[in-house]
This record gives sequence, C-alpha cells and structure tokens, in this order.
Amino acid sequence: MTRWIKQVGWRHLVAVLGVVFALVPLLFVLSAALNPLGTLSSTELLPTGASAENFSRLLGRTGFPHWFLNSVVIAGLASAASVFLSALAAYAFSRRRFAGRRVGLLSLLLIQMFPQFLAVVAIFLMFSTITDLWPAFGFNTWWGMIFLYLGGALGVNTWLMKGFYDTIPKELDESAYVDGASHSQIFFRILLPLVSPILAVTGLLAFIGTINEFLIANVFLTEGDSKTLAVGLYGLIAGSRDTNFGMFCAGTLLTAIPTVGVFMYLQRYIVEGLSAGAVKG
Amino acid sequence: MRIRTAGVIAASLLCLVGVAACGDKKEDSTTAGPQASAATGELVIWADDKRSAALKPFAEKFGKENGVTVKVQAISKDQQTTFLTASQQGSGPDVMVGAHDWIGNLVQNGAIDPVQLTAEQKSGIAANAIKAVTFNGQTYGVPYATENLGLIRNTELAPAAPATIEDLVKEGKKLKAAKKVSEILCLQVGQNGDAYHSYPLYSSAGGYLFGTNAQGDYDPKDLGVGKPESIAAFKKLAALGEKGDGALKRSISDQNSIATFTGKKCAYLVSGPWAVTDVKKANLKYDITAVPGFAGGKTATPFLGVQTFYVAAKGKNKALAQEFVTNYVTTPDLAVALYNAEPRPPALTAALDQVKGSDPDLEKWVTAGENAVPLPAIPAMAAIWDPFGKAESAVIGGADPEKTITAAGKTISSQIK
Amino acid sequence: MTTQLGGPATRALPASDPEPANRRERGTSVAGLAVKIVLLGLLVSFAVWAAFPLAQDEHWVGLGILVAATALLLYAYLTPRHIPAKYLLPGTVFLVIFQLFPVLYTAGTAFTNFGDGHRGSKQDAVVAIQTASVTQVPGSTEYALSIATTGDPATGGLVFLITDPATKKVSAGDGSGLKQLPAGDVTVTSSGKVTAARGYTVLTVGQASARSKEITEFAVPTAGGAIRSTGLSRAYEGKAGRAYDAATDSIRDTTSGKTWKADDGIGSFVAADGEKLAQGWKVNVGFANFTRALTDDSIAGPFLGTLVWNFIFAICSTGFTFLLGMFIAVALHSSRVRFRNLYRVLLVLPYAMPSFAMLLVWRDMFNTDFGLINNLLGIHTNWFGGAMTARIAVILVQLWLGYPYMFLVCTGALQAIPGELVDATKVDGAGAWKGFRAVTLPLLMIALTPLLISSFAFNFNNFNAIWLTTEGAPFPADNLTNGATDLLITYTYRLAFGASGAQYGFAAAISIFIFLIVAVVSTISFRRTRQQEEVYS
Repeated sequence: MTRWIKQVGWRHLVAVLGVVFALVPLLFVLSAALNPLGTLSSTELLPTGASAENFSRLLGRTGFPHWFLNSVVIAGLASAASVFLSALAAYAFSRRRFAGRRVGLLSLLLIQMFPQFLAVVAIFLMFSTITDLWPAFGFNTWWGMIFLYLGGALGVNTWLMKGFYDTIPKELDESAYVDGASHSQIFFRILLPLVSPILAVTGLLAFIGTINEFLIANVFLTEGDSKTLAVGLYGLIAGSRDTNFGMFCAGTLLTAIPTVGVFMYLQRYIVEGLSAGAVKG
Repeated sequence: MRIRTAGVIAASLLCLVGVAACGDKKEDSTTAGPQASAATGELVIWADDKRSAALKPFAEKFGKENGVTVKVQAISKDQQTTFLTASQQGSGPDVMVGAHDWIGNLVQNGAIDPVQLTAEQKSGIAANAIKAVTFNGQTYGVPYATENLGLIRNTELAPAAPATIEDLVKEGKKLKAAKKVSEILCLQVGQNGDAYHSYPLYSSAGGYLFGTNAQGDYDPKDLGVGKPESIAAFKKLAALGEKGDGALKRSISDQNSIATFTGKKCAYLVSGPWAVTDVKKANLKYDITAVPGFAGGKTATPFLGVQTFYVAAKGKNKALAQEFVTNYVTTPDLAVALYNAEPRPPALTAALDQVKGSDPDLEKWVTAGENAVPLPAIPAMAAIWDPFGKAESAVIGGADPEKTITAAGKTISSQIK
Repeated sequence: MTTQLGGPATRALPASDPEPANRRERGTSVAGLAVKIVLLGLLVSFAVWAAFPLAQDEHWVGLGILVAATALLLYAYLTPRHIPAKYLLPGTVFLVIFQLFPVLYTAGTAFTNFGDGHRGSKQDAVVAIQTASVTQVPGSTEYALSIATTGDPATGGLVFLITDPATKKVSAGDGSGLKQLPAGDVTVTSSGKVTAARGYTVLTVGQASARSKEITEFAVPTAGGAIRSTGLSRAYEGKAGRAYDAATDSIRDTTSGKTWKADDGIGSFVAADGEKLAQGWKVNVGFANFTRALTDDSIAGPFLGTLVWNFIFAICSTGFTFLLGMFIAVALHSSRVRFRNLYRVLLVLPYAMPSFAMLLVWRDMFNTDFGLINNLLGIHTNWFGGAMTARIAVILVQLWLGYPYMFLVCTGALQAIPGELVDATKVDGAGAWKGFRAVTLPLLMIALTPLLISSFAFNFNNFNAIWLTTEGAPFPADNLTNGATDLLITYTYRLAFGASGAQYGFAAAISIFIFLIVAVVSTISFRRTRQQEEVYS
C-alpha cells in the first residue's frame, strides 16, 4: 500500500488538487450560467437553480451560432496553418546553420514584444487598402482574419518547436542524409512524426490563442455575422450597462466546447511510447 | 503513424491554399455584387451591440424604400476610438451612433459633419437634448434618447421617497439593523471609482467640474476639481464612505450594484433607465425619483446623456447619411423601436408621448432628470473621468480628502492643454 | 550528456553545400515533385489573380512588389540552394506583412504628434474647419429638394430642383445659380418633391446616392451664400463662417475678421492671442515625445518602482505557472495512473475558457463583500484595496490562467523525451527523484528554456491580466496615475488614452522605451541558451 502511494497514489493526489483548483472558478461560472437572473453577485458556488434559459436565449436571440462557426473555422484553419509554418521555420532554426540564424531567432522574439494595442492603427491603414483591392481578404472576411493571425505564426510556436527539435538526436537525420534522403524527406518523414506530440500541443495552443483573441478581431470583424465568439460574447456585456452575465457565462462555457473537442482529438497524438518507438526504429 | 501526421498537415495546408484559391474565384464573381450595389448606394451604420440589433429592421426598411443597401454593424468595445481610427483610414461608417459627449473630440478630429435641422424638427426634440448636441453653435447630430440617473427604490422595503441623503441613510441603516437588507445604498463605486454615478452627490455638496463662460459654454480653464468647494464636497462623500456611514462602498461596482438591488439586498439603487429591465424581471415593486441631495446642500444634479446619430465626415455616402439622419431618425417610429430595445426616454417629443402611456416610468425618469446637466462635451472632459473616479474611490476607502483631491486636481489640470 | 544519447557529438548539417551530381535524385520523389508543382502553380495563379486589381487601379509600386515577391519565392523553391530559406519563407512572408509592418509603422509615429486633434493631413483639417463653420443664413428659406441631372442619371450634370414650401414654386439650380421653372413644366407632390421636370431627369434615391460625394459638395451660389443639400430631400441656404486663405496660409473668420495662422511646427492654426483651433494636423515633432517621457515628473518619477514590480510580475507569472504545470505533468507522466485522460481534460479547462471572460470573473470573485473567495474563506479582505494583497491576487489569477499551458507543454515535452533514456536510469537503479534531476529535467529545460523566455516576454507586457482585473489599483491618494499593480504597459495605456484623448505618438515613444528594456533583458538571457544548444551541435 505504501508502495502504491509512493509510486501512484501521490500522482492522483496531485491531479485531484490540480483539478479542484482548476474547477472552482468554473463551477462559479456554471452556477451563474444556470441562474436565470444571471448575475454574478450571487456568491453561491453551487448552482442554485437549473434553468436553461440563458442558453436558449443565447442560441435563439443572438448571433451565437454564427460566431461559433466563424470561430471554429478561423481558429481551426489559422492554427493548422500556423503550426505547419512554424514547424518549417523551427526545422531551419534547429537543424540548419546559416548566416543570421541567431539574429533571426532573436528578432522573432523581439517583434512580438512590441505592445500590440498600438498596432490597430497600422492594421486599419493596411486593410483599408486591401479591402478596396481584394475584398475577399478585406475586413469582415475569414481569409483576411486568418492571414492576419498567420502574421504571428512564427512567434511563440517557432521557439517552442525549435526547443523540441533540439532534444532529438542529430544523428537520426545525419544517417538518413547519408542514406540519400533529401532535406524535405528528412523533415516530413523523420522529424515531423517524431515531434508529433508537440505538434499536437502547439496546434492546441494556437487554436486556443486564436479562438480567444479579442483585441484585433474586435476592430476587424464588425459585420454582425462575421464576428467570432470572443467579440460576440464581449458585446453581450459591453454593449449595455445592464450586465448580461448569465448569458455571457453560458457563452463562455459553450466556447470551451470546440477547444475541448480539439484537445480530445489531439490527445491520441500526445500518447506515450510514440517517440520512443520511432527512435528505436 | 508518421505518414498520417505528415498527411494530415499536408492535406490541411493544401486545403488552405486550395480553398483560398477557389474562394477567390467565388468571391471574384460575387464582388460584382457589392460593387453593383455600391453603384446604387450603400449606407453603413455603426452602433454598439444592443442598438445595432434594434436598428437593423428599420435600416433595412429604409434601404428597401429607397432602393439602397443598408448595413448595420456592431462595434463591441472602444466605439469612439475605433470610429476615429477607421474614419481616418477610410474604412469608417457613414453614420455613427453614440453618446453626445463624444462631440468635442469627434469635431476636433474632423470626424463628423454638422446636421441642419429645420426649426420644426428641432422643436420636436426635447430642448435639453438639442442643447446637449449643440457645440460651438452647430448641431452635430440627431438625438434619439436621453438618460439620467435617478433613485430606484424598493417600495416594499422603503415606502417613502427620501427627501435628503441623510434621510436615505437613516432609513437604510434601520433596514440593515432589522436584517431586511445588507447594504444601505447601492451606488456603484468600484475599485477605481465612478465619476458619473457620484456626480449627483458631488454637485449637491457644492462641487463643480468646469465653470462656464459668458456664453454659457464650459470653460476648460476653470477647473473645479481641487478647489476648496470640491474638497468640502469630498469630505461629505467621505462621511458616507467605508470609515463613516458605510453607505458608499468600493465593493459595490458596475458588475453588482443592480444585481444587489434586484436580489433585495438593498432598498435604494442609484442608476439609470437601463437598470429597469432587470428590476422588472425580478418582479420588484419599485418607484423612481430624483437622486436626493444633502440636507441644506444644493440640488443634486445628475448628468444628462443623449444618445445621438452622427453623420461621419469621411463617410463614402454622406448625402444618403444626411438623408437618413435628418429625415428618417427624426420620425417617431424609429425612436419607439429603439425605446423597445432599451427603455430610455425618447428624445423626440412625439415618440415620448406615444410610449409614455404604456410605461409610467418614462415620465418619472424625465422628472428625475429635470435638473440634469448635459455631460460636458468639451475634449477636456476626457481628462476628468479617470483621476476623479480614483480620487472618489480612495476617499470612500478612507483616504484624506484634501490630499487626494488636490492630487487629482493637479493630475487633471496637467492633462488639459 | 552526449554519451547517454548513444552517439558521438556531431556537427550540424551543412547549410548550402552544392548537391553532388551523383545525388541528383535527392528530393525528387514523384509525389514530392507533384506537390511542389501544384503549390508553386497555386502561388503563381494567386499572384496573377492579385495583380489584376493592382493594375486596374494603377498601383504600379504595389504591382512591382508583388512581381518581385513572387519571383523571389519561385527562385527560392526552384533552386537547389538556400535550403533554410525554403523553410523560413512561408512564415516570414506573413510575419513581414502583418507584424513587422505594424511595428515599424507604430515606431514611426513616435516621432509625430499623431493623436486626437492631430490625426489627418493639413488638407483634412482645413476641410473640417470649413465644413464645421457652415451655418444657415438667418431667416432664409428651407427648401424641399429633388436631385436631377441634365441627361443620363449616372453621368449628366447635377441640378438641384428646389421647391419653396410656401409658394410651391420650383427653381433649378446648378453651378451658375438659380433659375425659376415655369409651373407647367414640373410635377410637384404635396410635400414639395418634384417627380418630373421637363428637360431634366429626376433621380431616384438609389441613383442619387451613387453620386453622393458630388451632391455633398454641390453648392448653388446665391446672393447671401450658397444653397446646399441636407441629405437628398432638403436644401438650405448656408454660408461658411470660416475660410482658408492659401496666400497667407491662414484661416479667417468672415464675421469677426479674426485670423488663425498655420503653425507647421505644432500642426495647428494659431491666432495672435494664442488661441488654437481644435482641428489640427499630423506633423513631425522629432524627439519631442521621447524627451517628454524622460523629463515629465509624473512619468519618469514612478518609473523605477513600476519597472521593479513589472519584473516581479513577469517572473512570478512565468515561474509559478511553470513549476505547477511541470509538477502536475510529471505526476501524470506514468502509464500506471488511471483516468489520466480525464484528469488532463479537466486540467486544460481553465485554458480553454476565453481568458478575458475569466479575468472578469476572477475580478468579481475578489470582491470584498460579495466575492466568492472571501465568502468561502470566511474572511473580509479588501484584496484590491491593499498593494500587497492586490499583487498576490493578480499573480494567483495568472497562475490559474497559465498553468494549464505549462502543463500541456511539459506533457508534450515529456512524451518527446526518448523513452530509453528514462528507462536507462531505472536500470541503473537510480532513485526516481535522482533520475528526474539527472535526465528528465535537463532535457525538459532544453526544450522549454526558449519557451520560458518568450513566456516572460509575453507576461512582461500582459495588458489584459491587469487591465481586466485591478486596472492598476490600488492607487495611493497622492498619485492617481500610477497604481500598485500597474505594469509599464497599462501605465502607458492610461497615459496615452486615459486622459485628454488618444496620444498615439507619445504612447509609441514610451512603448519604444519599454521595448528596449525587454529587448535587452531577453537578449541577455537568450545568449545563455547558446550553451544548451551546443550540447547537441
């Protein structure tokens, strides 16, 4: 028994405590979402009533279904493309030695440190022209939004992935190179499968980051049906002074669904033994 | 497994590029649509979320009647800044809906055009609303609704309207002692204060923000914050604060003041017409009166806010925007619809008359706002909000009023050029 | 370290060695080639598609950039050389357009007075001043207006058909003046709208609004001023009260005679008595914004204190989330733990929620009288009221929001560590903790150090974390501009936007200062990663 506690039991204890910490605020949100009066001044942690009114109002009377679709499409495509772009870049940074490599890495970090709230002016400047010339990529379009998000694709994710590539022994690709594989074959056939857990993690992080992005989307998507979840939900509480917190909380909970879905889907890539097997092979 | 991962990624990328390409072709054929409609005229209106929802059917009706396309778009946050930035870059709307106190800033940025209302149209709109949208002698928009603070009272708990703040506090304390309520008064303060909600008390205690010049316009050079009157006023607020009566508390904020009232945890709520929807939903018996002043003090004057339709100076279709704002917004139907979306008293007298029969509250709001002063629309007002609110919150939390207000006055005057 | 990896330390792949002739087959598998052709084909067709509007609108510079960029991309993927570029280019294209350009543009505004009252060009300001001064001529008639043209509705010359409401007489007005029309030639409704007029085409609202810009600018000269439109159905006689005189470069008030002379140094029209017109324009001000940031006491004074707290905040936010996230990840990194997947899903939930929404919820939970935390703990702490408690509160919120991220990353990192390395330590009989310290942790750190640096950088400028919770509170009574939990960025934001409107130029200047500080710190810590990298190189 003590052996079990030492080897497995403590793990459960840590997990349970972590879960409790994670869930207490969420329970609070759930309780507000189920409260038909929908106010956060109700301090009860446990739901006092079970009414779906907030949910039905949210789905029936707001553009929530549209927002949901927009968010899933934009975040899905943008994160997939962004993971691919940063996986490519991270490969070059980790495996290749070229002039300007470290400067490039550092610049990637520094660019994203510049405060974003001032960038809105430049974005308007740019997209006013784009909207005139190519309306398909202008304001209120999926593609414009996705491309804008891809601007940040090389940011954090490249750093994250480069770190992981660095942990994979170089002699793996060296031997493949000796065997006559081209650089693209090494990348697609050998490295990418090895880092698939981290591709999944990065994809999830990019998905979450995109679906929750608010500042840029707020000025970019003004057409009612083009809004994303974050913008639409914020509109529920910011548009008027009477706080619609019940509906807002209900929306917040529903927003988590696609994310959890993506996580469940990607979790099978985050399984043990995968990389170990590959290295052995 | 390896092939699968690579395959998934390659496929998704292909998808992306492919769909982008197909999407372009599709969009190519549809771009003819918007361009064609631009030829017959398109009107873009920006408003916040709630109002854009209410506006939509009317805007569409206007479009259908006149053979033009009307788009109503909602801006959720920072409407004024977004409008200014977008306008400057040529992506702004033709018509903007917002509060009248933006006027000063919008005018100095050349973002809105004056509107020419006929004498008849002007006389159909509440006089104080017209006054609020008049800036430097020009009318800068068409008001459609007014709003001001009042005292909403739970008549089951407090049957009589208090004549003074002192009466209110006395009654509130009694109810609290009897365990009928947990708070004396629900007046939102929050961690960083709330200048808008505290202004009636501040004015009753003798404080002022800006003096007025000979023409009756606000004079940014005569700042009232930091003057002895303001210090005296804040001493009175401090007496109501956490170290005093406990009627004003930082824990009561914009997030919870209405909810605390509807939850019957306090008998008095200082709020505006927007609170009534929630109060009605909670099935409370209530009454609305003017915010009481201090005994022996001046009249408590809340701010009057006027919701306004503006014509954007850099809009692509100004003629149509002028037409919509001056000749369509001034009809009662639209005002009534906007009232139905949110119960603020319509600024159009005809619309007010039409709805006040079914809603006795409206008359009460108008009465509560009889002494209201229009929110100063001068750009210098922007410098007031933040320091004033923080000073208020600090004083209510027990800080020394004199020191705090002097500091606030200094901060504000250094920001006014 | 390297010996444990089972091989000798090796060099990195050569960057650009020319492909030997006998290895031509490298990279030429049929599928690979097909994908390459398809992608490049798409790129070219995309470029062609994008070129049409540019050519149509005669944006020759834009067209040149497009052609050059496409040619560069084609070259990069068709040549066997420059292998790193093949991997870097796709992301870099987006990075340059959507990140680098905004950053450079913003940095550029630091040298201007860009802000409220100074947003546009001088021309914009003049137009705004003139438009704002047009008033109705006192006692003049308000006419009903119908828009008409001579000839084709889309191209014919504009004519205002105005009806006097009292007499119902119709006049036609164009650039040369007014001319009354014979009553027999026009059909007028009771409201005064003209539905038909001989010799003119009366426009529908749709047709008229297509020529909106012309109509707005159209003025029919009269003795007292000019007849202008109010929308599409009314007209009034108006007169501009202020006019711009290009010869003297000044604005003159036609009634009072007062003049305001243009000052291109500050971008305003200034009168002799010092009065400035509100409508100004954007001008270059050199380093004025930078010197103001350095010399203004209210900015330079509390800077050091805010900077120290900013570092504490960023370090604690990153450090605590990492420690907690890693601890839980390690705890769950064992196939013997049942319900592992369930735990993981639940642990990720905080991160799955929109963070701005959860920040607002946390702010409420810290409320003194109504907050969940005080209620659950049975205490009455004014969390955001005291400097220390407010700081603890925001870091706690950061911990909650951030540890699932670190948990995920660590989980991924642990999976990516080759299993036999960990197994090897077990065979050696090393204790679990010892094995972790000797093998797992160093490998984790290699993978995660870059991430920790960028996470630190993110938290250093974590605007939402403060703005949506405390907004910088509590504020000392004698200094209302700088609160105990203010980060440099929230403080800048308040300075730039909180008072007297937006001052983008000034805010950009402060941002550059902040940027320099973070950049120096990050560069120094980045240099330290070189040693770790070299372990494998």
